Amino acid sequence: MIGDAFVFDGVAHPFNFTPKNAYGSAGEMFNQHLYAFHNVLTPENEPKQSAEEFLKEWTPDDIRQMVYENSDTDMLVAMPLPLTDMFRDGLSPWETCADLASRDPDRTVFWGSVNPLEGRRALELMERQVGEFGAKAFKFYNVRYDYGSPFPWRMDDPKIAFPIFEKAQELGINLIGVHKGVPLGPQPVEATQTWDMDGAAAAFPDINFVIFHVGLPFIDETCWQLIRFPNLYASLAATVNFVVRAPRLFAEILGKLLFWCGEDKIVYGSEAPIWQPQWALQAFKDFSIPQDLCDGYGYPQLTDVAKRKILGENLLRLHGMDVEDSKSRLGRPQSH
Amino acid sequence: MAIRPAETPEWAIRALSEVFDPCCREKGISVVDMGLLRSVVLDDRHARVELLLTSGWCPFAARVLTDVEEAVRAHPGVDSCEVEIVWDEAWSTDRLTESARRKLRFLPDPAVAGDRNAYLAAHTPGGQP
Repeated sequence: MIGDAFVFDGVAHPFNFTPKNAYGSAGEMFNQHLYAFHNVLTPENEPKQSAEEFLKEWTPDDIRQMVYENSDTDMLVAMPLPLTDMFRDGLSPWETCADLASRDPDRTVFWGSVNPLEGRRALELMERQVGEFGAKAFKFYNVRYDYGSPFPWRMDDPKIAFPIFEKAQELGINLIGVHKGVPLGPQPVEATQTWDMDGAAAAFPDINFVIFHVGLPFIDETCWQLIRFPNLYASLAATVNFVVRAPRLFAEILGKLLFWCGEDKIVYGSEAPIWQPQWALQAFKDFSIPQDLCDGYGYPQLTDVAKRKILGENLLRLHGMDVEDSKSRLGRPQSH
Repeated sequence: MAIRPAETPEWAIRALSEVFDPCCREKGISVVDMGLLRSVVLDDRHARVELLLTSGWCPFAARVLTDVEEAVRAHPGVDSCEVEIVWDEAWSTDRLTESARRKLRFLPDPAVAGDRNAYLAAHTPGGQP
């Protein structure tokens, strides 16, 4: 807990950045983008890693240390990347994520991930990830990189996406995340925009969809989507890390989300190991929207109630978990 | 009110109206409509283009520069072209044309919107948020 807020981190990836894992320059470019995010957004007074230190194979133990030992996080989502056409193991292999979750079965939740363009193979892998490894949700990436010649797919595609959502429901899953905004590597940017969420949300009203990275830079589009569909949510993963280096930018993003979408629709994620979670957690806990922005633009203030919801309570509810029960069982006193 | 590029000949505006930032290609909003163009100056068949970026860390900036250069060099009066990103002026939504503003569906500042639910009822199909 940080203060009285239960912290449920919605995303950590045990990356495998070793050079031999990447298929050619497209994979190396992807890795370099992630290192640039670490380098640009880590505050000056926090330890920064060199490229050589950062671009390694991150183990489940590394992630546990960052998230549970070095931060006030109470629960975590272990999240794979299914980029098997750009990295030999997908970059954040689902098997490693399942292993990470198995180390703390009460605290760490495994989300599955597949590439829907693989058709029946993807459906079978979903069955395995849920049936054998206890996946509680799925995360998708709207592109097949195809060894550096990428082509995208859409969340509202009845032939590609809908069978995947139907399979998820058949397996008892009603929570699906999707990477939006923040194009990585040679990804066509069009597919990172959020327009396709309308069709997905309307066709599957019983699935809750989380738009990761609040779709940055397409924040207005994301707000419009969340406004109109009760089953759409926005994750601050990678966005919360602007809080120290660009606090007014962060305040504008958060102010828009709070006013238009409301504090019940926003969830937190650390993106460890790209950043150490604790500095952003503490800065978010201490954050308030500058008063001139509230006065001038009409943004609501970020209240303690909103912080508690964003840092953990909303994600607990999305996982069907009772907030008070989870806090009493798993909440750890703040120690950092 | 959109801010139009200064010192820019009409032929250049026409040519660059066919050039798109990858983020806006799908919606058909050109670099001119986005307000990225600050100026095009032609001197002895050498064109110098000044562009603003919406975000300093746009990973697609290099592609936009190349597309702009090619579009300007294709004009019969131009032998060479240099494209420069300028940093002494910040891009803002004031630079958008009206058509771009409509296509992007920007939300107003909450203070302008007033009552959230009333605004949404008036601006969403069927009056529903």
